[in-house]
Amino acid sequence: MTYGQIEQTVLQTLRPAPFRYWATVVLMFLGLLTGAACWAYQIAVGIGAGGQNIPVAWGTYLINFVFWVGIAHSGTLISAILYLFRAGWRTPIARAAETMTVFAVCIAGLFPFIHLGRAWMVYYILPYPNERTLWPNFQSPLVFDMVAISTYLTVSSLFWYTGMLPDLATIRDRATGLRKKIYQIISLGWTGRYEQWRHYSRAYLFFAALATPLVVSVHSVVSWDFALGIMPGYHSTIFAPYFVAGAIHSGLAMVLTLIIPLRSIFHYEAFITKDILDNVAKTIILTGLIVGYAYIVEYFLAWYSNNIVEQESFRWRAVGHYSLEFWIMVICNTVVPLLFFFRKVRRSIPWLFTISVLINIGMWYERFVIIIGSAAHDFMPNAWGLYSPSLIEYGILLGSFCMFFFLFLLFVKHLPSVSITELKEGVHQGEGHVR
Amino acid sequence: MSADKHVMALFENDVRAASAIEGMAGSPWKLERVHSPIPSDKILHALKTKKSKLGYFTLAGGIIGFFSGIGLSIYTATEWHLIISGKPVVALIPFLIVGFEFTILFAVFGNVLGLLFQTNLPEFKSLRAYDERCSGEHFGLLASCAEGEEKRLVAYFQEKGGEARLI
Repeated sequence: MTYGQIEQTVLQTLRPAPFRYWATVVLMFLGLLTGAACWAYQIAVGIGAGGQNIPVAWGTYLINFVFWVGIAHSGTLISAILYLFRAGWRTPIARAAETMTVFAVCIAGLFPFIHLGRAWMVYYILPYPNERTLWPNFQSPLVFDMVAISTYLTVSSLFWYTGMLPDLATIRDRATGLRKKIYQIISLGWTGRYEQWRHYSRAYLFFAALATPLVVSVHSVVSWDFALGIMPGYHSTIFAPYFVAGAIHSGLAMVLTLIIPLRSIFHYEAFITKDILDNVAKTIILTGLIVGYAYIVEYFLAWYSNNIVEQESFRWRAVGHYSLEFWIMVICNTVVPLLFFFRKVRRSIPWLFTISVLINIGMWYERFVIIIGSAAHDFMPNAWGLYSPSLIEYGILLGSFCMFFFLFLLFVKHLPSVSITELKEGVHQGEGHVR
Repeated sequence: MSADKHVMALFENDVRAASAIEGMAGSPWKLERVHSPIPSDKILHALKTKKSKLGYFTLAGGIIGFFSGIGLSIYTATEWHLIISGKPVVALIPFLIVGFEFTILFAVFGNVLGLLFQTNLPEFKSLRAYDERCSGEHFGLLASCAEGEEKRLVAYFQEKGGEARLI
């Protein structure tokens, strides 16, 4: 494959879109509007529009928050961690995964606002001098979370944009008219001068090195939102690694859910080969086994602690009111991924896609089981209670998914969804281009 | 710049471009810029450039970030004493988490500022003497020479396997 063929294939994706593309964009936008309308309704009538109530004060908004932060994690795994390990197979899927990260963190960041009810009061968490010298409590995991998520959003956005600069210049050089002017500005006048490459390569390496510990810290911090509380089912020392593995598990599944249609619609089969999908599937086996191990260890700890409250909490998870959600979680996250042990399944597009969707469903339910299941059944039997999401919450959930796909659809038609430069580097290292 | 004539040469691969760069050492011509679609070790070696100092910006950002995070946590805790069960007001372990996040954030800011500062981005002047094929399949060398030398310079690049033109 030559540099020209790589460019041709990627630039082809930026050509004017057919009607069905815009129809899908409009459909997603309508879903987004539905979510926005539900949020507006909740603001108008109050937080009671959602189904959260004592004892389950944390409902789907917090589930969605943890779910979307989790989805964001594999983008950094693929773009930063696998970059540091020099795993060449990451190249064709890194850009889509990074984009997924940025959009997922943006959506995750909305949920604390939604959960807050009075969203305009969010400035209370900002550390600014005020007349009562009242500051955020930096000993609280919720404040750690605010710091960690804003850092993650900033870092992943800068990483994504910086990584795209050479590709934006390539598009600029092939564009005409207004498009050329726009790409000229957003590529910052990049010309591939050697001074630029010399510093850029270094900066990219530092980005990857800094993003790697950050990705581990962010979901650890999210897990401490729960683990630092004393609630049975939340208060566990294994939460940080358990959450990080779960996040990468769901993120990898979402990568498959996104790149399989992308590969087929934009004819990326030559770049996103079955070997790459196979490698993602193998990584999912690993993360699925870690998640399964964490589920078992949670039960072991409940039994070994000899704490009857903890034991009851975990017994109820498996056979209580939310047992269906629990078994969906166990089967989708730990049993279904085991199918990837079969090579035929790993190389079958319908199987890969179906399993990736099932894992996403399972991971959403994992957060449901942890957040709802624990709060609904804590210390005092007289305080036990049940929760079910309201229509408003379902509307906001739908809106969040539609917003994610809406943004992703806009991205694939206006920016390079595969890194042209990194693919060229891959060809160059194999000297495939030299004539 | 003493010379007033510029020649742009395009090569189909970095081996030829690197050879042309090495051959210019000791010549009266001056290599102004090298453009390439990808970073190339061969060109880097031919240019004999030093290691990028970008890391100092990143390091400085990280150090500033760490102390800002820890400092902000300590300052706010001492401004509003929230004493719970005799736990310390300045609690270093939770503040280290804030310090860590700020370290990464400011290190990345340092990294980006360092990149912009060292590469002079955004910069649109270079686009004037630039061949758009350099972001595609070609490696471009922009060299300058004294008036009357340009034909020799063009011939040199052609001899090295490049496509040269006066700009």
